[in-house]
Amino acid sequence: MAPLIVNEIISPDTNLLLALLIGIGFGFVLESSGFSSSRKMVGVFYGYDTTVLKVFFTGAITAIMGILFLSLFGLVQMDYLYIHPTYMTSAILGGVVMGGGFLLGGYCPGTAFSAIAIGKIDGMLFMVGMFIGVFLFAEGYPLWEGVYKANFMGTTTMNEILDIPRGVFALGLILIALAMFWVGEWAEKKFPREEY
Amino acid sequence: MKMRLILASVIIPLGIIIAAVPENTTKPFRLTAGELLNEVQNGSQFISTDQIADMLVQKDPSLQLIDVRSQAEFEKYSLPGSVNVPLSDLLSKEWSDFLDQGLRMNVFYSNGNLKSNEAWMITRQLGYKNNYVLQGGLNYWAETILNPQAPKSVLADDEIAKYDFRKGASAALGGGNTLESNVKESKSSKPVIVKKKKKKRVAGGC
Repeated sequence: MAPLIVNEIISPDTNLLLALLIGIGFGFVLESSGFSSSRKMVGVFYGYDTTVLKVFFTGAITAIMGILFLSLFGLVQMDYLYIHPTYMTSAILGGVVMGGGFLLGGYCPGTAFSAIAIGKIDGMLFMVGMFIGVFLFAEGYPLWEGVYKANFMGTTTMNEILDIPRGVFALGLILIALAMFWVGEWAEKKFPREEY
Repeated sequence: MKMRLILASVIIPLGIIIAAVPENTTKPFRLTAGELLNEVQNGSQFISTDQIADMLVQKDPSLQLIDVRSQAEFEKYSLPGSVNVPLSDLLSKEWSDFLDQGLRMNVFYSNGNLKSNEAWMITRQLGYKNNYVLQGGLNYWAETILNPQAPKSVLADDEIAKYDFRKGASAALGGGNTLESNVKESKSSKPVIVKKKKKKRVAGGC
């Protein structure tokens, strides 16, 4: 049955509309869970607030379980799901740059827009910085094209890289997530801050 | 805290279940029986031997011939530039990128129409596009391209033109009286079978 658009159950236009609604929902939840505060966001680096880690890991394990169970019952066809191609060098470098920017600026791209939506000036500055980065990347593309495209691994997935069944990988991720939650909560007690 | 324990005691068993059950690898069929019947009746999957001969002579890069016969038969004789995907290997993962693509024109051929048409029907039902069938297969190929029969002179001009083309193609693609020596020749100049690598495995380091 799913993916709906590939199986022509919904049209591309309906798909866009659904994307808009999901996007609004996502933004609303980000804002209402306090992700528009840069202090809360960077808390994950200092250990006093690990909401970010908990939310995103919860999202990951919910999604992985949802997809795997839907696939098990034949409701989603895994072959048609889009898998983002992996450029390993880019992924690692990008992760470092993104983490550094996150620590310095206090936002990740999505939450910066959440902050802008409630009129935060630091969020706006963050977005300006983001566009400067995008501009520099695009203008200097010939300089880092080699690095950007290095270690291309195709549309692979983690369980294929590790050569284990995807269900086993899912179980592993769940256990890792729960362990991270436990460490996160422990860190929150260890490095508390009164107000932020 | 209690809530978290409840959630953890729900998600961990779910994870164990998903780790324990086999992956659902059923390949869904994309076309309904009615849609397929319609296409079969149209016969639009058939490509004539003349068209293939023309593309081969022109060295059209968009053409990809796929031999669905057994490997032994493929090694004995095959069309230039073709790859061997025996019917039994059709669904193997190795070939799925090869068969399911939108760039080249894949043309299945076998001795007759049967096997190649079966290959086409299976891939078509999977929703793959750009797959075709060589009409009449190698038997008809030998009859029309390798050993064209001169038409009676009373026939229309286009029949004569067709014969001239076939005679030219035959010379270019190795047919006619020298069939035996040409079979040898085509053997020696048999194109290297390039298997497209599907996915690069990590060679360590990552």
